Amino acid sequence: MVKVKFVQADGSEKVVEIAPGLSLMEAAQSSGVPGILADCGGNCSCGTCRVFVEAAWRERTGTANELEQDMLEMHANRQDGERLSCQLTMTAELDGLVVSLPASQF
Amino acid sequence: MQTLAELDLPHVAVEDPAFAADPVRHFREAKGQHPWIAASDIGYWVHDYTAIRDLLSQDDKLRPAYDGIIEIMGAHGTPWGRFTEQQMISLPVEQHRMLRTTFATKFTPRFANQLRPMMQATIKRMLDEWAPKGSFDFEEFASSFPISVMFTLVGAPVEEIPAIRASLETLGLAFSMDKSRIPEIHEAFARLETLVQRIIAERRASPEKGQRGDLLDLLIETSDEGGVPQRQLEDLVIFFFIAGYDTSKNVLTYTIRLLLDRPDLYERCAADHDYCRKVLEEGLRLFNPGSVPRFTDQDIVYRDVLLPKDTMLWFTLNISGRDQLAFSDPDTFNPDREIDPLTRPIAFSLGKHMCLGQHIARAQLQEALHQIAQRLRNPSLDGEYGWRPYPGAWGLKGLPIKFTPADAIPEPA
Repeated sequence: MVKVKFVQADGSEKVVEIAPGLSLMEAAQSSGVPGILADCGGNCSCGTCRVFVEAAWRERTGTANELEQDMLEMHANRQDGERLSCQLTMTAELDGLVVSLPASQF
Repeated sequence: MQTLAELDLPHVAVEDPAFAADPVRHFREAKGQHPWIAASDIGYWVHDYTAIRDLLSQDDKLRPAYDGIIEIMGAHGTPWGRFTEQQMISLPVEQHRMLRTTFATKFTPRFANQLRPMMQATIKRMLDEWAPKGSFDFEEFASSFPISVMFTLVGAPVEEIPAIRASLETLGLAFSMDKSRIPEIHEAFARLETLVQRIIAERRASPEKGQRGDLLDLLIETSDEGGVPQRQLEDLVIFFFIAGYDTSKNVLTYTIRLLLDRPDLYERCAADHDYCRKVLEEGLRLFNPGSVPRFTDQDIVYRDVLLPKDTMLWFTLNISGRDQLAFSDPDTFNPDREIDPLTRPIAFSLGKHMCLGQHIARAQLQEALHQIAQRLRNPSLDGEYGWRPYPGAWGLKGLPIKFTPADAIPEPA
């Protein structure tokens, strides 16, 4: 299991344990982390599972793929380190990952 | 646990024209008898917002029920029946995933944003022609917009728009479950299929192939790279026309109907491009055309009720935003309403079948509303309107309006 810390827009935090191989979105949903909507169920179609990867982790998570980038364009307030959590697969080297969430996914 | 047969379910006459005029009232009455499901002659209707979310997001336990519609309509073995049963949404899981993944890159917000100048030019051209009239049937006007955008996207000859629009009008009524429409449905499908096969063949043979960079170029290129069979490429383009026609047209028409009662908001739409987006999102909560059919693919127990495998369920996306349990003051049109993430509107469905064209639809509706509000000033209702059949692509039938023609407001530099 690997640990991920989710930081909400209001500053509250929750650490969850995730089995490697699951997406960050699946981990958030199964652990009751609010703010990850994922209306399309992880098919990179809705853009409502956006997170911001903390700067220190970006090299390990990598940047958004082309489809992700195109989806993220739906959001007005773009930020560095943004990813769609359905496209981020958890691995052992991401143990300790910290991501923050936007105030809204719309 | 109870079976559906043991429940004393209300019966909703969804095929009745009186039902189409006010489904919200009928489903609210049904809710008094059972909180989330009702029976009808064409399947069960899940009409509670939370139940829709809970069930429709279970992709692994449901399958699209378009074969069930073809069964009811007695259209097995016909070209329209084949298409309906084999279109992308109806394909087996792996085939669907492969096709959807292949084409997803062409339906992103970025791609939709790139199309906005073309969408603006299209609606401006239409308004140049229609606005001087001073009055017209808004639904008829709106019906020319999405099809004009779609024709531009695939490079289809504009002189064929009237005939194909008539075909799409007919095909949009195909899921109303009225068997008397079958002959005209077949005729309409044949016309559309012929057009799609011809434009693909002509593009493949053209020296311009790959040079125009329009959606058809991109779809041909993507399907060739992904090894997509020609038949599935044709079906996707046919689906693109059918799915994109009366959905956008009906939403735009209903949004204008809402705004006729709110001239203050309409005025703001003329001046504020971004506010149009909020107006449309709130409009989609109050109304959208879709009720989606699914079969249960296994036994499902929900709220202690057994839904046996192969039960046909309809999900009322179209009025889900009017649920009194999920939304406060649900009948009030308020674009500044705070969206609760737990009860966000679900007009474009949920899960792996979420509408592929939603970003294109949102972009073209926003561009259209902003221009319309500038050019058709002080609109008011100019007669009566009716309603389209409830199952399938529901919406207003006709919307006579009168207005003061005006020039566009210059955009800020």
